[in-house]
Amino acid sequence: MTQHMDAAAEVATTTLSHINVPPAQTWNYLRINDIKMELPTPKVAGDVYAGLPQLFGKVEVGLGDEAVRWIVSSAGDSNFYEVKASEARTVVVDIDAATGDACDTGVLVRTGAKATIVTFAHGGAEGSSSASLLRVVAEADAEVSIVEIVAHDGGQHLDGVGIDAGERAQIEMRQYALGGSRVAVGLACNLAGNKSRFTLDSRYLAQGSEILDVNHVVRQRGRNTRADIVTTGILADSARKTMRETIDLIHGAKFAEGSEIETVLVTGDDVVNKTLPVILCDEEDVAGNHGASIGAISPEQLSFLGARGLSEEAAEQLFARALFDDAVIHAGNDDACSAVLARAATVLGAEVARDIAEVLGVEPKEA
Amino acid sequence: MSDQLLTISGLSAGTEDTPILHDINLSIGAGETHVLMGPNGAGKSTLGHVIMGDPVFQVTGGSIMFDGQDVTDKGADKRSLAGIFLSYQAPVEVPGVPLYSFLRTICQMRPELKTTARKFRARVGEIADQLDIDQSFLTRELNVGFSGGEKKKIEMLQLLLLRPKLAILDETDSGLDVDALSIVSKAIEAYRADCDGALLMITHNTRILERLSVDHTHVMVRGNLVADGPASLIDDIDSNGFARFENELAQKGVE
Repeated sequence: MTQHMDAAAEVATTTLSHINVPPAQTWNYLRINDIKMELPTPKVAGDVYAGLPQLFGKVEVGLGDEAVRWIVSSAGDSNFYEVKASEARTVVVDIDAATGDACDTGVLVRTGAKATIVTFAHGGAEGSSSASLLRVVAEADAEVSIVEIVAHDGGQHLDGVGIDAGERAQIEMRQYALGGSRVAVGLACNLAGNKSRFTLDSRYLAQGSEILDVNHVVRQRGRNTRADIVTTGILADSARKTMRETIDLIHGAKFAEGSEIETVLVTGDDVVNKTLPVILCDEEDVAGNHGASIGAISPEQLSFLGARGLSEEAAEQLFARALFDDAVIHAGNDDACSAVLARAATVLGAEVARDIAEVLGVEPKEA
Repeated sequence: MSDQLLTISGLSAGTEDTPILHDINLSIGAGETHVLMGPNGAGKSTLGHVIMGDPVFQVTGGSIMFDGQDVTDKGADKRSLAGIFLSYQAPVEVPGVPLYSFLRTICQMRPELKTTARKFRARVGEIADQLDIDQSFLTRELNVGFSGGEKKKIEMLQLLLLRPKLAILDETDSGLDVDALSIVSKAIEAYRADCDGALLMITHNTRILERLSVDHTHVMVRGNLVADGPASLIDDIDSNGFARFENELAQKGVE
């Protein structure tokens, strides 16, 4: 179950470090190896909580041990879901920063089962904090679809995801980081089983003085595994973003292929954008690819969009709207849609948010 | 004689290094259908892009008047909003932008097309059905992963949605199978019937013209407009090719 924290009251805080440390670090002076966050100290004394089965303790999470321990302690009770063999189930995790939610969730997807997991963090305002930890164990032939949404107007958020994939397991994930004063997102996927596959479509928007810190790690252990990470984002004003993407082709992962592509649209003059793409390779018969495009909209796209009536400024607005449209299209849950639309109202204006909802046929719930 | 919608006078243009179009004179009346033909590399697509205002090309002489205003120095976005539409031979992929977002945005840019979300959805759905486009395409990223035929259908969807005064179709028929060609032809016919818009068809394939009543045919060779004629000129070119136009140009000393 979720532990609620009273953000209004004076609370002791803990400074967490080593939150999003990449497997292969670089020079410290680049300040890309880590992010620190000051969060409320968990109140755990004297209470006994229901933790997840030990199986989940072995699942690597992109956030780092200290941050994982903090979320587990803050959450108190955990939520465990088992999707039985050949069954299909949807799991929704609602993280409300207004009540200081911290959620610890474990999902065991048995052989051949299908699971859709939606986590969405919302309600963040200055001074608030929230957190989510999602660990997934996907057995052989399991199909898992994960949508992770962070849609705060302010405040801090810590979000960790860890996935273990068995043989032929298919993991599709969409990640939307749409706002929050200081947001850290850490994801690790372990493609342990042969022919397992992981696709990640990660999108983000950071504006004002927001800080977004991301760590994506894919360990390819099994033979013939595939990992495709596509990241697209928009950075405006004086936003700061750090993105670490690591594909680790481990010894024995013969014929494995991994690729990571990032496209960043920078619209602010004071933006700080850091990217650390790494492909680690300890096997000969593998393929690892990395590509990045950082800056403005490409001349070809601008020309095409211009021929449809869009100036460069209008094209940039289209990209921002498109991010929210896409999140609504794929949210897979009415409450998650409402959270995205609430954030869209802040970023794009209430009229545009209403238009997104009406064009896509969604009825947002009142906040 | 209808009013002139587009008047190109003495237009020369090219890339930074290479002149491509030479002293082009061309007029298209409102509601007329013109066909532009020529051998590969003649500059037909360049002319389409220059009319649209593609910044890749620079105008080095002459003028382009559209609907009573000089648009020679205007950007592509202004020309589009004024009523010029260019269907791309190879539509550009725009990752991160769902088709629905794109269509809604380009419609809302135009005061004459602004409408409620409900009516917009209904209109897009109607055109998608007309073009045999699966509704699921509307939530996919613009042109990303689409086949050549699908991209052309999406171009036609934009044409019917935007209802421009002048549509320049740059080899819209290229790479289409028989069924897709039939659908695209019907879309062009619908554009003519519903919008009474003018057309400048750049094509090598006369089959796409079968359903249309062509008013004028133009022939371009090596960046020069070398012949104008009625619809019957298309049959002449079909039978005899472009050799005589190339020879005539050579006799005039144009390399």
